[in-house]
Amino acid sequence: MGLNAYLTLAAVVFCIGLFGVMSRRNTIGILLGIELMLNAVNINLVAFSRFVGNVDGMIFTVFTICITVSEAALGLAIVILLFRVRRTVTADHLDLLKG
Amino acid sequence: MRGTAYELLRLLLPEVTLVGLAILVLVAGLISRPSTGAQGQRPIAGWMTFVGLLAIFGLTFFIREGSLFGATFVLDGLAMFAKRLFLAAAALSVLGSLTNPQYPFARRATEYHFALLVSLLGMLVLASARELILLFVAFELMSIPLFLLTGFLKKDAVAPEAALKFFLVGTASSAIIVYGLSFIYGVMGGTMVESIPRALASGHPLMMLGMALLLAGLGFKIAAFPFHMWAPDTYEAASTPFVAWLSVAPKAAGFIALIRLYIEGVGPEALVWMPVVSVLAGMTIVTGNLMAIPQQNVKRLLAYSGVAHIGYMLVGFAALSSSGVAMMLFYLVAYMFGNMGAFFVVEAVARSEQSDGIDAYRGLAQRSPLLALAMLIFLLSLGGIPFVAGFWAKLYVFLAAVESGLYGLVFLGAVLTVVALYYYLLVARSMYIDAPTRRESVPVPGLLGAAIAICALGVVGMGVYPGPWVDVAIRAASSLF
Repeated sequence: MGLNAYLTLAAVVFCIGLFGVMSRRNTIGILLGIELMLNAVNINLVAFSRFVGNVDGMIFTVFTICITVSEAALGLAIVILLFRVRRTVTADHLDLLKG
Repeated sequence: MRGTAYELLRLLLPEVTLVGLAILVLVAGLISRPSTGAQGQRPIAGWMTFVGLLAIFGLTFFIREGSLFGATFVLDGLAMFAKRLFLAAAALSVLGSLTNPQYPFARRATEYHFALLVSLLGMLVLASARELILLFVAFELMSIPLFLLTGFLKKDAVAPEAALKFFLVGTASSAIIVYGLSFIYGVMGGTMVESIPRALASGHPLMMLGMALLLAGLGFKIAAFPFHMWAPDTYEAASTPFVAWLSVAPKAAGFIALIRLYIEGVGPEALVWMPVVSVLAGMTIVTGNLMAIPQQNVKRLLAYSGVAHIGYMLVGFAALSSSGVAMMLFYLVAYMFGNMGAFFVVEAVARSEQSDGIDAYRGLAQRSPLLALAMLIFLLSLGGIPFVAGFWAKLYVFLAAVESGLYGLVFLGAVLTVVALYYYLLVARSMYIDAPTRRESVPVPGLLGAAIAICALGVVGMGVYPGPWVDVAIRAASSLF
């Protein structure tokens, strides 16, 4: 399989994630969308690393995974905090602040 | 290699000291007894942070330029300038929050200052990063504590909501940034920033896609149009001294990243970005200024006016020249003093009136003439009236843009400066012309007053003697070309 196949796969996953972020009303769903976007990045990086022929991309991937995990931990903590205060995690109900 | 450890420590002195300070604050907070009650608070963590930040600020004058780890980490004029800016802004913010009476600040001061220092560490590393992985990790080290600090008042009804909105926008934009970086890596076959110009010159479509994604992601971080919607909500809900910092330091960090990736060493190839950045700058100025007009909450008003100021800085960036970058850096310093000062006055008024509305400023000139005068100076500086810092900042940015032939953009910016004056003067009218609803003066805690005074001195000083500041900015930018 060529590089393009991997890049296309990553682009599809990234777009699904982006669509999830835009369209989901549940904040947990939005978080899942962001995870998908970041995983698309990992596919991209590893594929490039394989075809460029150095390990820089894989090192980058390790860092991206670490950052993704810490972001997910903080994001879920904020969602739990929000649920305790407001008893809802639906984006439509979070309207005390008018954007 | 003799003396390598010494060399390492010499160049990394601010970062190493900052890590030490963060650990010290955390440990001191853990072993000191938690204070009981609002009156018995001893803000030891805050004082340690403040003194430590001043010491690190002083240390930056004892390090010389150089580079480490095969030019991955560089200390050039721009890095030094940015580090001093971040440290000064953080020290001012801590000074403004030392007397914060809100319960969580007395109870959890350690956490607050630790998170702030860690975020600051990310900024300091970011200022020196010349490698994509380091740049991204530093960016995230800066961003993640900011989400936490936004939601710091966790029992508050709106703070968690603002934190969540900021978090979702921030992580989505990080994902876009790192997606762009993955393409850049793929085309370059490496992660050093210095190979960007060569890859850009090849005109590979994936490289252009990567750089465009990166620009969009960084646009979110600096709150440029159309990615600015998170700013007003976040500013409104978070604690004001923190917002004063949030409105300056992370934006400055975003601009430093933009300079490193899009201008440094790129040469004439950089002109590809001129139309895109010009449109972005123009739209940001228009949106920020027009959206600020109907705001009744001064924090939201300052948030939208901050969006407009990001647009003016983007004008300097769009010039893509040495003078453009230098004047953008000058603008950042002027914006830091003016904007942080205005937020500190908002904090002082909010503590006494329990409100951020424009109504709370009625007759402030009769109640507290000095506070009203300080606010007037900050507003005039933000509006760009002569003899305060903001005037020179706007003038210099416009001059740099004219040099690069961006006449339309300068005209648009100049027209909207008048619009901006309208809403700044709405607040001034409330302070000076409207009759006060209450007689007694607004109490200003001494330390908050000191922070306001420093900002006012900075604004007036830069307005009367802009020369030395301009020289510093030009020297910082000269290393890039």
